[in-house]
Formats: sequence, C-alpha cells, structure tokens
Amino acid sequence: MGTILVVAEISKGAIREASYELVAIARELASAGGHEVNGLVIGSGVGDLAKTFAGKGAGKTYVVDSAAAANYNPEVHGKAIKAAAKAANASLVLISNTPTGWDVAPRVAAGLDCAFVSDCFKASAAGADFNFVRRVFNGKLDAEISSTGQTVATIQPGAVSAFAGTSDGATEALSVDLGAKSKFVEIKIAQSTGVDLTKADVIVSGGRGVGAPEKFPEVIQPLADALGGAMGASRPVVDAGWLDHPYQVGSSGQVVAPKLYIAAGISGAIQHLVGMKASNFIIAINKDPDAPIFEVANIGVVADLFEIVPALTAAVKAAKG
Amino acid sequence: MKVMVCLKQVPHQDARLDVKSDGSWIQEDNIKFEINSYDTYAVEEALRMKDKAGAEVVVVSIGPDRVTQALRTALGMGADRAIHVNDPAAIGADALGTAKILAAIAKAESADVIFAGLMADDGNGAAIPPMVAELLDIPSATGVLAMTADGGSIKAERELEGGALEVVEMPTPCLIAIQSGANQVRYASLKGIMQAKKKPVDVKSLADLGLADSVGGTNNKTAIKKIYVPKKGDSAEILKGSTDEIVAQLVTKIKELGLL
Repeated sequence: MGTILVVAEISKGAIREASYELVAIARELASAGGHEVNGLVIGSGVGDLAKTFAGKGAGKTYVVDSAAAANYNPEVHGKAIKAAAKAANASLVLISNTPTGWDVAPRVAAGLDCAFVSDCFKASAAGADFNFVRRVFNGKLDAEISSTGQTVATIQPGAVSAFAGTSDGATEALSVDLGAKSKFVEIKIAQSTGVDLTKADVIVSGGRGVGAPEKFPEVIQPLADALGGAMGASRPVVDAGWLDHPYQVGSSGQVVAPKLYIAAGISGAIQHLVGMKASNFIIAINKDPDAPIFEVANIGVVADLFEIVPALTAAVKAAKG
Repeated sequence: MKVMVCLKQVPHQDARLDVKSDGSWIQEDNIKFEINSYDTYAVEEALRMKDKAGAEVVVVSIGPDRVTQALRTALGMGADRAIHVNDPAAIGADALGTAKILAAIAKAESADVIFAGLMADDGNGAAIPPMVAELLDIPSATGVLAMTADGGSIKAERELEGGALEVVEMPTPCLIAIQSGANQVRYASLKGIMQAKKKPVDVKSLADLGLADSVGGTNNKTAIKKIYVPKKGDSAEILKGSTDEIVAQLVTKIKELGLL
C-alpha cells in the first residue's frame, strides 16, 4: 500500500482548518486500508508550518519551500504536488475544494495521468481502490464514485470535523523545478458597499424562483421591511443582474447567521447553504418538495412563494398592529 | 487569433430529474436540454474578444445528436464554426478522457485562448478545464470574473472566497475557466440564427482525432457507481393547510422567536 498525501493550504500565514479535515479523512482511510499518512506544505518560509502539520496529524511531511511558491500559482503548486506524490508513492492525494484547490487539483491528476474526483464529502477505502460520495446537479442528487489506481480527490470544506490530535513525523525538504508561465499580480479585496447582511436579525432572501428583477422590491423587500430585516439573494439572482453582489448570500457572497432566515424560491445549492445554514431558524418556501433547501430548514412550506410571501407580509403587519 | 470554447449541453435547470432504475444516471428521455449556464458566460467572453480584437471563435462539444442544438445556439450568438465529437466512447469518457479529447482538438486547432465554464450544472466537477491546460502544458486560471487581453498577454481576475479577487497574468496560449455572472450573455439574434444555419459544424469521431481506443471504456479511471436522491437527515417540518393556515403558523413561530 502506498501513502495518502494530504496537501495543506496556507492562508494568512497559517494552515487552514480545512487541511486538518483532510487529515481526519486520511487517517480514517489509512487505518482501514493500511496506508501511511504523509503531509505536504508548499510556500516560502514555511519550515515551521511544515513541522506543525507533521505534529498535528499529518505525520511525515514533505515541504517545498521556495520564494517561487510565496503566492499561489497553479503551475508552481501543481509541480510541487506532483513531485511530492511521486516521492511519497501516494495512492491518494487529498486537496481541499477551495478556490485554490479546485484550480490546481485537476492539473495534478492530469499530470500524473491518474483518477480524479472532486468536491467529495465522504470517502471510503475499497481494497486498493477508493469510493467517494459527492453532490451532483447543484445539490439535487448524490453520486457514488469509484476510482481505480492512483487518485487525486478534493474534499468539501466542513464535510468532517478537523483532526485535533497529535502525531510524530519528520519533515523532508523536496527540491522541485517550479518554473511557471503565469504570474501572480495581486489580491484585490472587494469594496464594502453598505449592504451588511451579517448584522441583520432577519434576512428574507429570494432565489431564481422569484422569476424577475421587479419582483424583489414588490414581494421580497416588503416582507423584510415588515420584519425589520434585510433582503438577500442567492447567486443566480446576482449572476442574472437582478440584484447587486452585496445582496448575495453564500460562499462567494456574505456568510450570515441571523435569528431568522427566510428563503423564498431558493432551491439550496451548496454554495448558498454554506452561507446561511448557521442561521438560528430557517423557513424555506419552495414549490419543489425535493429542493435541498428543506434539508437545512426548520420549517418548510411547499407552495408558490407568490401566494405565501404577500400573505405573510400582510399578517406580520397586522400582528404588529 | 483563434479562440476555442468548450461547451457542454446539460439537462435544463428546471428539468425533472428522475434517476434511472439501475441508478447509473438520470432519465434523459423527454427532458429539455440547454447549454451549461457557466459555458454561456464563456461563449460571451470569447465573442467579446472577437468583437474587440478580431478572432475566429470555434465552439467544441462532446455528446450525442442533441448537442447540435447547443452548437447552433452558440453559432447563432456569433461563433464562427463548431466541432461536434459524436462518438459513444467519447460520450462515456471520464473527466480525464474528456480533457484528452479537448486537448487534442485545441492542439489541432492551434487555439490561442481556450475558454470553458468553471463547471457543468450536471456533474459539478470543475475538473476538465485545468486538465486540458495541464495536458497542453499551458497556463490556466479558473473562476475568472473579468479579463483583459493585451497582445499575447492576458490579465484575469479569479474569484476567491469572501469577495476577494486574485489577479493573474499569463501569456497565450492559455486556458480561462469562467465563473458564472462574469458578463451579461447576449441572445442569438434572428439574423444570427439564420446565418448560423450556413456555418460549418464538423462532426468527428475519436478515430478522426487519433484517439481511438485511448479514452472512454476501460480507459476510464473513475466510474459512477450510482446516483440517488440524498437521504434527508433532519429535514424541515413541512407545514400543511390553506395559505391562511400556513401563514398563521408562520406568524406564531416568528412570535415565538421573539421577532414580532
């Protein structure tokens, strides 16, 4: 049996929580399949981080420490991961499904000419091979995927609890040619535009089911106003240009946890659920009884939002007197 | 300048998804298909490049006969010609096999820029575009929301978490996987649709691409064992009754939460 190589992701000078979630999955697979767990840390001046990773579950940890790797670059990081996969004789390479993970992981699999499975939330060993479970059709269905031979897999952040124990492991420096054709320029932080949903006690969000841009001020905003709350939206609404990006709730918008979240006409793609599932109480209104939003909601209403929302707005106003 | 756009035809976002009895995939009979939403932004970005600097835009898709419709739509929007890989082994290829097909076409076409959508609305894999770039040994950027081209150099802004953007610069040839919402996608005009009927759609087999027996089938390294409706955990309590009864229950709940 080869090893399971866990690729750490560094953000703001520290190893991300998601990397320790990979460690948890790797250790469970390793004990079932008889593999050894190895870590990989890539960056510039990351010797201490590699030692931390080795000691907090990853075990023996390879380190690619170079000025060329100071900023993320898919070619540079891809070369480092491919080199480590070879050095570690990795049967499985685990990478977090983050904007850097999904950017580099497929390159690694293609470079190694091996199996690739993305955005998994479950993994199990099946003899020398692996099985994975992931969402498809924007969260509406699950798929069980089997891989044969060496495999690169990306794992959905938050899928499992992070490993919190310790391990013994040395670090080993790898010398890799890190030449790249593309180059990092800068990180731009979006300007704040005044819509701060994170401070609202109540958020009423509309999705694609709202159907048209003018329906937001006509139907969604009045309920938010009646409850003294704010209006939000799911990604398709913002992508279609119906509302501006500051209204977007989700992993690429605002992550919110109000006392009450009302989702109207939102099916519940993972990227939206990540942004609102920590809400204290969730009411979902959707015509489709199988919509994934009902899985995270406390109360569900399977009905046309255009019947329920205006009636609820009127009832809330009446209750306030 | 030659620009290639990889596009996939997927079940319509409002299509009813019934799993086949053997669990292998969904029932595709009698449902509507459309161009993958992410790919529509990729087509638009390619056409903007053509509008600005002049380029030949070639749209490429792999799939059965129905895919012609998606390619005709892209031609109607303004793409110049289409390549349709219609071969059972290609259609059944896993992500890496699919990437090998697209890389072979990009190579034969000597594409300067390859556009793709970040992911497909059916498989949600986001795997193929960076694989194509790796196979061609060219730079890539995924989740791109904005880009500018200056001669042989492209500056792209990638979406990160929490609204941050990463700016990268790369020489052509390169691959750009577009994030949804990157632009306002144009519709095919009536004139465009009429012109599209005269534009060439090249139908190819794997043998035509020199890939016979090298992708799909036993070459696949991953396989879908089954798909199924996710098991509901602590699902929502579904309210029953007339609209008035449901609204009354909601108001009671909102009062209990101390918000009314």
